[in-house]
Amino acid sequence: MSSKTVNPMMQSAAWRISLWATLAFAVGTILVFGMLHRFVANDIQRRSDAWLSGEVGVLGDVAERTPKDRLYSRVVREVAELASREVPNKQQGSGTENDAVFFLQAGADGTLKLWAGRGDGSAQLAAIRSTKVVLDSPYDLSVKGFRIPFRVAAVRMKDGTSIYLGLSEKDEIRVLRNLRSRFLALWLLIVLLGFSIVFYATRRMLGHVRRITEAASRIGQSDLSSRVPTSNRNDEVGHLGRTLNRMLDRIENSMHQLHTITDSLAHDLRSPLTAIRGQLEIALTAGVKGEQIEPIVSAMDEVDRLTEFLNTSLDVAEAKADALRISPAEVDIEDLVRVMIDLYEPCLAEKGISVQMRSSGPVKVMADAALLHRVIANLLDNEVKHLPAGCMVALGLGSSDGFARLVVEDNGPGFGEDLGHHMFEQRARGKESKGHGLGLAFVAAVVRAHGGEVSAGNRPQGGAILSLTLPLATQTKAEAPASLAVVNG
Amino acid sequence: MKLLLVEDEVEIQTLLKKPLGEAGYTVHLAEDGRTAASLAAANGYDILIVDLGLPDQDGIDLILQLRKSGITCPVMILSARRSVDDRVKGLEQGGDDYLTKPFAVAELLARLRNLVRRTSAAGEDATRLRILDLELDFIKRRAARGGDVLNLSPQEFVLLEYLCRHAGRVVTRSMLLAEVWGTRIQPDTNVVDVHIYRLRGKIDTAGREPLIKTLRGVGYVLKDR
Repeated sequence: MSSKTVNPMMQSAAWRISLWATLAFAVGTILVFGMLHRFVANDIQRRSDAWLSGEVGVLGDVAERTPKDRLYSRVVREVAELASREVPNKQQGSGTENDAVFFLQAGADGTLKLWAGRGDGSAQLAAIRSTKVVLDSPYDLSVKGFRIPFRVAAVRMKDGTSIYLGLSEKDEIRVLRNLRSRFLALWLLIVLLGFSIVFYATRRMLGHVRRITEAASRIGQSDLSSRVPTSNRNDEVGHLGRTLNRMLDRIENSMHQLHTITDSLAHDLRSPLTAIRGQLEIALTAGVKGEQIEPIVSAMDEVDRLTEFLNTSLDVAEAKADALRISPAEVDIEDLVRVMIDLYEPCLAEKGISVQMRSSGPVKVMADAALLHRVIANLLDNEVKHLPAGCMVALGLGSSDGFARLVVEDNGPGFGEDLGHHMFEQRARGKESKGHGLGLAFVAAVVRAHGGEVSAGNRPQGGAILSLTLPLATQTKAEAPASLAVVNG
Repeated sequence: MKLLLVEDEVEIQTLLKKPLGEAGYTVHLAEDGRTAASLAAANGYDILIVDLGLPDQDGIDLILQLRKSGITCPVMILSARRSVDDRVKGLEQGGDDYLTKPFAVAELLARLRNLVRRTSAAGEDATRLRILDLELDFIKRRAARGGDVLNLSPQEFVLLEYLCRHAGRVVTRSMLLAEVWGTRIQPDTNVVDVHIYRLRGKIDTAGREPLIKTLRGVGYVLKDR
């Protein structure tokens, strides 16, 4: 009912479970990929370093053995360009333009002696000279004018010159970028797939739980015969359903026992009561005269009172155990109250009590009409018995927040101090009261069995006030078909 | 008028036999469902009285079984149960009636008469009714006594109408509550008596013979002769 503002799917546990599971899965795969990425990057680095070291060694050898004549620079450059064709991780068909590799020979004084590669090599030389170089292992070199750093291996010649072989890291970076973008696409796909699988599975599982909850909430006070749906599977949800059903079996059993006890008690007492009343009645109609009438009539009155007491106390006992038998139907409580006021008005008027009713139109509730009749009759009986002449009774009927609300007020003496909070308890009655003390207990029991509330007290300006609420028919409509089906069955 | 009383309690049997006989019924007795079924099949009864608490089966099952075998006479259901079974409500809608124990014998007799009349479909749709010098006009919803129009509230007219339709017979308080106000409550107070008292004040005015008679402990009778 409160989910109007929040999407119900967002409230579902399935949503939360799948969200957390997906998050954990996503983080886990990212971590695994991170490690994989590192491993691949290291491996590529290692391979290009090995190539660089090998080539720079070869070039050093060539440079050493080639006679230092006019051909020297041509031979060495030729060899260097040959070497650059075998670059590892090279992108296929990148053209003849070779900007991935440079070869550089620097003199002992730091001047450029030989250069192979794109450009004139001065930027590379400047970068090399400004870097502190450890000769044995390749290192990273950022060159001005090139976005991507070079990996450089160096070898020092006997004549004091140094040979440098540089390899651009762009191929390595491209390979890793490819790897990352492919992984990201795959990762997104897997995470989405995983999320939908987890969401679907938990939703299905929780759907069973939800159906059990719905069925269990329909099993109300008036309907104990239906059961929650169970599946044949031997999992937790199946267990939950079966356990609930076993519990319902036990509840229905004890409820049934209570009904049997109260019914047989009522039955055992009622047949003799019928016989007694019948004999008295026959004696009365057989032409008893004068003084003999009065004792017979009062004996009949006592039998009637005893019967009513028996009925009501059994009703209250059942209602206290939440076992009151209710056959609900849509009832216009306004109409019902008006009929009862019609019935009681002459009796109240005879005692000098006036009665009025305030209402804003029909109020439909889902209730047992026969029980409601008795509730209203009890309340009005109370007023007849306890109000002194000249008082006024006001009944107000309205509805708010899905509940019908009936308020009965009077300006009489109000509830006695001695009654306090016990007025809805069985046998509670004021000192002056002649009743058997079941009236208000019955009212409270019936109202609560219908899912309503009842409260009573004294008004600040004097007199008693009693109010009761009953759920409106429209609200219980969703549950009505289930209980009606049971009634009809 | 042949009547079958299906009841296992001896007290109720002895209580009902005499007044039923006096009311003109030929009473047959059955103490359990089996006997009742065979008796009902053998003799065509005009009316059945069935107690719900039979030793061998549930009274409702018996009634449904009889209905299935083609017995259509009206049934008066007696119940000592406190709550009215929904199946009983179903039967009530189907034209049968029920009484919860303890009941007044007069009420049982009155309801039996109603049942028989209902099924024999005697024309009740007369627009006027005359009992002694009391006249009722059901179309204008007006009543007059000895030619003087009575100033009745709609409620009082309905009450008088019910008494007139049962003129000469006992009407109990619970019958009036059920038929006039549509409720089966048993008030702690004398609400019905006050209504009758008011009605009597308007009908049995000074100098006229009282028409509504109170039978103490039983109910009321509207005199028709």
